[in-house]
Amino acid sequence: MIRPSCEETVLLRHRDLKHNYYSLTFGPYSRAKECRPGSFIHVHLPHTDVYFRRAMSVAAIDPKKKEIEIIFKIFGRGTTLLSKFAKDAKLDILGPLGAPFALPTKTERVVIVAGGVGFPPLMFLATDLVQRGYDPKKIEFFYGGRSDGDIVERARIKKLGVNFHVTTDDGSLGEKGFVTRSVESFIKAHGSEKLRLYGCGPDAMLKATNDLGLKYELPGQLSLEAPMPCGIGVCLGCVVKTTRGDYVRVCVEGPVFNIGEVEL
Amino acid sequence: MTPDIRVTIAGTEFVNPIWTASGCCGYGEELANVFPLSKLGALVTKSITQKPRMGHRPPRTAETASGMLNAIGLANVGIDAFISDKIPWLEQQPTKIIVNVAGSSIQEYVNVSARLADSPRVDMIELNISCPNVDKGGIEFGVDPVMTEKCVSEVRRVFKRPIIAKLGPNVTDITQIAKAAEAGGADALAIMNSAFGTSVNIDTWRPRLTNNRGGLTGPAIKPMALLMVDVVYRSGVKLPIIGIGGIATWQDVVEFMLFGATAVQVGTQLFVEPDAPVKIAAGLKAYMKTKKLATVADLVGKVQRW
Repeated sequence: MIRPSCEETVLLRHRDLKHNYYSLTFGPYSRAKECRPGSFIHVHLPHTDVYFRRAMSVAAIDPKKKEIEIIFKIFGRGTTLLSKFAKDAKLDILGPLGAPFALPTKTERVVIVAGGVGFPPLMFLATDLVQRGYDPKKIEFFYGGRSDGDIVERARIKKLGVNFHVTTDDGSLGEKGFVTRSVESFIKAHGSEKLRLYGCGPDAMLKATNDLGLKYELPGQLSLEAPMPCGIGVCLGCVVKTTRGDYVRVCVEGPVFNIGEVEL
Repeated sequence: MTPDIRVTIAGTEFVNPIWTASGCCGYGEELANVFPLSKLGALVTKSITQKPRMGHRPPRTAETASGMLNAIGLANVGIDAFISDKIPWLEQQPTKIIVNVAGSSIQEYVNVSARLADSPRVDMIELNISCPNVDKGGIEFGVDPVMTEKCVSEVRRVFKRPIIAKLGPNVTDITQIAKAAEAGGADALAIMNSAFGTSVNIDTWRPRLTNNRGGLTGPAIKPMALLMVDVVYRSGVKLPIIGIGGIATWQDVVEFMLFGATAVQVGTQLFVEPDAPVKIAAGLKAYMKTKKLATVADLVGKVQRW
């Protein structure tokens, strides 16, 4: 049982990744090493008119330096304000939160399906697997976006040594088309034996990934996003319907769910 | 001298006047992971109904200026699962336990309350007769003085420990409802529940809640709640008042007490700051020291009117 706590941290690095993407690194954060791929933190925006915290999946950690990185795209007022905090700003983080990804077995080939701003927890997952000694050549990292500006941190992902596949809707970078079409071609070529899917991205992409998992009977997990007032399971605002017909909380039972577990 | 922030309501002593508000702390388990519940005056559970309720389809919440709209739809496990799965854990907790009860008929309030009467560790019940979010979530009782009195008095017959009636602002005259609850045998009043509100997405033209409307909570409603407490406190109703509505800081608590609240409940702020009750209690103590107040009761109703 992880016990979340509130902790003030300092914004150490602020990187503009262009096309409205930003990377913020906070530290020292005593809970950094407890953050796993798929975990998220709830960030308070001090001195702003935004009342609720903003849930942000963890993109990377440095357990030794006690640092934590988030990467996000500007969508609304909260992310706009978050992008404007400058180095040395003090922000309160509530975390670590959420059920992280389950790790693959050594014999499985990992197929990562990242869509646009959904890539940070998956980059964290790939990094974590490689650090654990998992063969990077057995990680297929599919990363799709609308256009080349949506494919950020390319060099960083490539550097992991994973098999990197890029798709864009407009063909401005990599293969033209939806990322899930590319993934399906791979599954057909490779065969579905010993594959494990991990997905995070827009709703339509999650649904298509879920459908691929069901069609080819692949195990795997998807990380969901939902508006999240509390992040700790008390408000019941972020629920999603399961295929059993009941509601579960994205913040506690998720954000990571097994393929076929929730209605998308 | 350490200021004494204990309060007594209906013969029950609380370690402090800072409680959680129903619907904002589940059944307590999650908050217990954040801070020791011994720091709370009382834990007020989510509303319990006779049958389990799934609640409304999402989206159920929408952020607003200094607050939120919600229409959760009284999602809860139902009284059977509450008694079998939640009560055993709650019984171990080092704080007062207040169970919030909701229903769509007076009989449902009576049935649920009768079951809770069998659990001695349930210190009090709070009747939610003012939930704005379901067609039959009790609001028809809480807007009508006759129904309010009947609901409270029928529950009174089956539940002998203290009963709190939770009133809402969506009425013409809250003092009429407060008097009815007093006449029905309530021991205290919780003022106030959320205020009706709504919001629409201007891109899709869809209301931001699938319920189309909801209850507004958070700091946005604090001035309304203070006035509700004020008018009931001065209405001749003798019952102690538990103030609720947008409490985020210890300063807010002082305001509620000056207007007549004996205790308060912290709700939506728990979403932003789950350990808010701990910070608020510490701030309240420091304030009393500065003001040289011996007990927190010295604040209640002491507003100096113009």
